[in-house]
This record gives sequence, structure tokens and C-alpha cells, in this order.
Amino acid sequence: MSKLNNGQEPPKIGVYVCHCGGNISDHVDVASVVEQAGGLANVTVARDNSFMCSDPGQELIIEDITSGKVNRIVVASCAPALHETTFRGAIALAGMNPYLYEHANIREQVSWVHHGPGATGKATALVAAAVGKAGELEALEPIRVEAEAHATVLGGGVAGMSAARDLAAQGLRVALVEKSPFLGGQVAQLDKTFPSGEAAGEVLSALAAQVLADQRITVYTCAELSEYSGYVGSFKIKIRRTAPSGADLERLALVKDAQPGTFVPCVGVAAGPGPGEAEEVALVSGAIVLATGFEHYTPPMGEYGYGQMPEVITLPELIRLMADESATGEQLVVNGKTINNLALIHCVGSRQIPGVHQPGPDGKLNQHCSRVCCTATLQAACELREKFPETNVFELYRDIRTYGRGHEDYYLNAGRSGVIFARFTPEAPPVVTQGGEDSALTVTVPDKLLAGQELAIGVDLVVLAVGMEPRDNQALVEKMKLPVGADRFLLEVHPKLRPVELPAAGIYLAGACQAPMDTAEAANAAGAAAAKAGAILSAGFVELDPFVAEVDESKCVGSGACVQACLADEAIEMVDTPASKRARVNPALCMGCGVCVAACEQGAIELSGWTLGQYEAMVDAIVAQALRQGA
Amino acid sequence: MDACAGKYPILILATEDCSYPGANSVGQAHQNYPDNTYIIRTPTPALFPEKFYLDCFAKGVGGIIIMSCGVECPYEGAYPALAKRVNGIYALMKKQGLDIRRLRPTAICTVCNRAFIKEVNLMNQVVAELGAPGSEARAA
Repeated sequence: MSKLNNGQEPPKIGVYVCHCGGNISDHVDVASVVEQAGGLANVTVARDNSFMCSDPGQELIIEDITSGKVNRIVVASCAPALHETTFRGAIALAGMNPYLYEHANIREQVSWVHHGPGATGKATALVAAAVGKAGELEALEPIRVEAEAHATVLGGGVAGMSAARDLAAQGLRVALVEKSPFLGGQVAQLDKTFPSGEAAGEVLSALAAQVLADQRITVYTCAELSEYSGYVGSFKIKIRRTAPSGADLERLALVKDAQPGTFVPCVGVAAGPGPGEAEEVALVSGAIVLATGFEHYTPPMGEYGYGQMPEVITLPELIRLMADESATGEQLVVNGKTINNLALIHCVGSRQIPGVHQPGPDGKLNQHCSRVCCTATLQAACELREKFPETNVFELYRDIRTYGRGHEDYYLNAGRSGVIFARFTPEAPPVVTQGGEDSALTVTVPDKLLAGQELAIGVDLVVLAVGMEPRDNQALVEKMKLPVGADRFLLEVHPKLRPVELPAAGIYLAGACQAPMDTAEAANAAGAAAAKAGAILSAGFVELDPFVAEVDESKCVGSGACVQACLADEAIEMVDTPASKRARVNPALCMGCGVCVAACEQGAIELSGWTLGQYEAMVDAIVAQALRQGA
Repeated sequence: MDACAGKYPILILATEDCSYPGANSVGQAHQNYPDNTYIIRTPTPALFPEKFYLDCFAKGVGGIIIMSCGVECPYEGAYPALAKRVNGIYALMKKQGLDIRRLRPTAICTVCNRAFIKEVNLMNQVVAELGAPGSEARAA
């Protein structure tokens, strides 16, 4: 980065106000804003342009920098998320430090919400605030840390294997860590995947074959993360592997010659025999991808008769029954009993409503929609009608949400194949009772489609379309300080702007550990996570945003308040200096939250790029402008 | 906008991951709200010490809305830290005779348009009722 205008010179601020076509100038008197900005302290240039983001707009900035007229830049335009990077790039192109820049949002937060003189007044105040902050800006340098060309993927399901394969394809070494002795995760429990109808076993086998054949990928089965420290580019990880036992040993015995790559239906793809005895593996990874997956909701005893009536099962259980190749005939037969009528009940353990549904043992409700169960249920219904045409199928639903490409076809096909639909409300759900005229069970439900008329359906099997729940990752969450959403799934920084990233740099999310998603979506998310991780590791070093805490040692009295307040382990530590103990920040570990700033009574720690002095300058400018306009 | 409330700016401390994009979402929907509101972007409002808030009121800020990410905060632990700090600020505000309604913590997501406007309008009513910051102490 060029050292031109490194922030040490007295501020010469350039203000550039955008018309945004007419988006801004139709409601804001841009000429007036420019005129008033020109009169502010330290402002040497104030200009406007129809589109500041255009090449001619950026040229204005570049010319003023290179001619020495300005050494700090304020652009007043649209939301910073759209063009902050654009203008920083233009500044860097002109040879100036790109962090000597401040943005005033006068479109989304002014011209699109206010009109008339008030809009111009507010735009003027926001520009003044940005100028106030710009006067306090200092040149910052990205934090550069060495990066290990190695990534660790936690979880060996479809998302984990996809991420591992895609990372390895970028030339990185990868450790794929899976808790069980098998790869495949929950997809191994499926028979056919939608909407392609491919056999889940074939999809998994193909993916696992790629992973197992790749010399750059080391698969650790029967393994869990036991220790974690470090930062992007250099995470220090320990993996504890334990010898398989109990059910895992029985499952491994199903694999002929313990051959890696063998798919065992409803279990997964074998990846070797596992360790003979417990062992610990130490790794240094540049990035971590979390692909820890989900769990199916387990209905509590008695929900729709589950656990009390053997004729009530879950959808994954039905899928396993239907996957049995011997299951053929005019009617479905379960445990020797012919199924004449079968009811599928949607939204079991999903979209739960406080006051209507009972919370789980942890006191929580699954208020989220699990998204995939509608299509999965309709897929099962279609398959039932196709394979067992004499078994009648009833779908009892709250709403049908077949949102994906090709998913709606299952709904249409289910209707065409004779599946009978009834719609219920959460307040009046179906009631399952034992016994019926010619059936094992009776399902009673007021049908919204029939103006609330109560239906009593004699059925031989009730299938509960159970939702997706977050896996119990508490140990991992605590160890790695992972953010968790209100729905208890792992939480990305932003669903649209940074959809697979966590606030701690170098840690990414892939698949259903983040939210309910289907197999294709999980693979997509894994690809995104792998691309993100690969992008930062491929150069051999990582450049991080410089917006991290910084200690002013002349003010620090060594109280340790910042260390106590810090949300990231080891981001701030106390070190001995000739004078006494002082706080020191590890920039690579600092998340840039600034909690330490408020904790320091001496004001000895600040967040670079977001200092209290800068905020105070903004407030001063806003108050001065607002009071002037209000007077 | 109420003429009295308009004299006193309302500061909105908005998190760059949640409520700042939320405020932009209100703009994208072209929904109006009073123009005496000034949104300041921050990684998390948990970085502001008590003094910052008290200084703002002393300078003439009529009300402050802290718009955080709430429990969806990407910085694990920052929200509880903020909640604790707000309690401390309330105690100091009371000590100075400032009506604590002038400071309102709330959680606004990236698409919480209605909640955003509701909070802004509520604070405007409070500022219109109370007048200049500190006037309530003088009146008492």
C-alpha cells in the first residue's frame, strides 16, 4: 500500500456528494449540501456528480488526491454496503491510504425517507458528521498474518465432504473430522434424494470416493475436536480419536473386509476401521469449516401417540421401511400388518407456537420452519402411491411449502396420484386415537378445506413428518465461542452479505448446522465456505481488516479490565513492560467488537477506525447542525 | 414531526450487521420517519462507555436509541455486556436527573422495518414530551 498521504499531514478533506441520478437530488438540494460542506473546517474541496460511483465520479476523487488538494475523503451517496469498497479502491488507486475515508449515507437514510427542507438539512448534518470523523481518521494498514495452507472440516456429511473436496481442489491440505466411523451424515438415512430421484447411497458413494481418493484429504473418523486456539491462518487444533465401540463396532462389522468406500444403507460410507485405541492428533489449520449437521426432531412420548402406539412412526423411519427392497406389493406391509390407509402429518416439531406447543426438555420451541419436510413428505406420498397403489395416503398439513426447483411437482403428482389432503390449524391439530372401525387407529381433524368440518380417518399407520433441529454442539460452541441464533442453529454474520462467515475470521459454516436446508443447498453452502476459505489461504498470508482494538500504552495502567471484558480468548493479554504490566492486543484474534473500549476507565484502548474521538466528533457535528436548523 | 421534538436530535446507534442494514431496508421501502434522527454505524454499541451517553445528552441530544442485534449478535457475549452497561447508564442518568426514557435499547434486525419506525416514533414522542435534555432535572 502506498504511503502517500498517510494521515500524518493536517486534514485536507474532500467532500463528494452524489445525485444518484435523481434518487438523491430529487429530494435533497445537493448544491446547498455542497455549499455548506465547503464551509466546514478542514474541507478544501466540495463537489457533486450525477453518479459518484461511475468512472468520471471516481476520477474526481483520484485527481484531487494526486494533485494534492485533499488527503481525506468523504463521499455522500448510497448505503456504504454498496460502494464503500468502490471508493476505497479509487483512493488506493490514487496512492492514498484507503482507510482515510468516511461515508455519509444520504440515499437510504435521507432522500428515500425524508422530503423537502428536512431532507437537505439532514443530509447536510450527516455530511458534517462524516467530515467531523474524517478529521480524526488515521491511516490504517491491513493486518497481515501468515496462513497455513491447510483447512480442517468438522463433520463428514454431504456438506463436510463437499467442502473438503472443494478445498483440496484448490490445492489445500484438508483434515476431515467425523464423529462416527462412517461418512455421509443424515443423508445416509435417506433412500432417494429430491428432486432428481438419485439414490442417496449413490450420491454419497460418489462423493466419498472422491474424498477418500484425494491424497490431500486426511479423514479422521471416530474423532472430535478436543482443543482449539489460534487465529485465522494458524488455528491450533487437537483432534481426539477413540476406538469404535458398541453400535459402531456392529455397524463396522457390516462392511465386508472393512473396505473403505463401502456404502452401508442407513449407516453411511465406511472410511476405515477407526483407531485401535484412543489417540490425539495435533493440527495447524489456516481455516475451519463447520459442517456439523442437524438432528431430526424426536417427538416426546405421546405426541400424536408416538412412543405409545406402535403404529405411529416418523418419516425417516418410513423411508427406511420403504427402502427395503423386499417391500413390494399392492399394499404396504409394516411389521406383518397390511396398511390400507396411511396418514402423514406435517409440521411435527417445526413452526411450534408458544402457548400452543409444549417446549422440549431444554424449554425451547422449534419456531422455525424446517423447510425440507414438505417436499420430503410429498416425495414419500408419491412413492407410496406408486409402489403400493392399494394403500390410501392422507396428507394432513398446515401449509405446503414446496419452495425449491422441481419441488412443486411432488405436490402436483401427489394430488394426481390420489393422495387426499386435509388442512389443519396449529390450534386444532389432528388427534390420533387407538382403534377404528376397520383400522388400528383413528385420526380426527377439523379440515380447513371443508370449512372446519371434522374428519375421522381410520388408518393403520401414522407417519410424523419430523422437523430438523440443531445438533447439540454446546461443547464446540463453548470451546470456539461460536455465535448461536435464537433458533439454536449456528449464526452467520449476515444472511445476505456474509452468509457463510462467522465474526471470527477464518471460520465458516457449511450445511444444516446453520439452518434447515436440503442436500443440494448444503452442498452449495459447502462450496461457498470452501471458496471463501480457499480465497484467504491460497496466497500464503491473510490480510485482515484493521478495525481491531489498539492499546495506548501511555494511558494503560494495567488494570486488566479489557482482558476481563474481552469476548475472544487470548485476544488481549497482559504483558510485562519496564514500567509495569500493560495490555497488548493480538490483532489476529481480535474480533473488533470494541467491548474492551467501554471497559477501560482510562480510555487506553480504542477500536481502530471506530474510535470514541471519532464518534464524539460526529455527535458534535450532528448536534451543531441540528440545533442550527431547529432554532 | 413534532416541532418541539425536532429541535433535539435523536441519535441512533446502529450495529453494522443488523440494525444499520435494517435502517437501509426502511429506506428501500421508502417509508417515512421523522428527520431529526441520525444513525451512526457501529460494530456493536457495547463499545460505548457510560460517559459517551451522558456527554451526548449534555451536548443537546434529545434521545438515544440503541439498536443492537439482540440475541442474534454475531459477537457472542456482547449483548449481555451491553445490557449490563445500559443498567449502569440508567443509574447515572437518574443521578443527573435525566429521564431514563431518553435512552432506549432495542433489537432491530435487517428487515425490522415496522419495529424501526415504531421505535423512532416512540422516542420522538418522549423527546417532545420532555423537551431539552436536562430540563426535567431543572423542573424537578
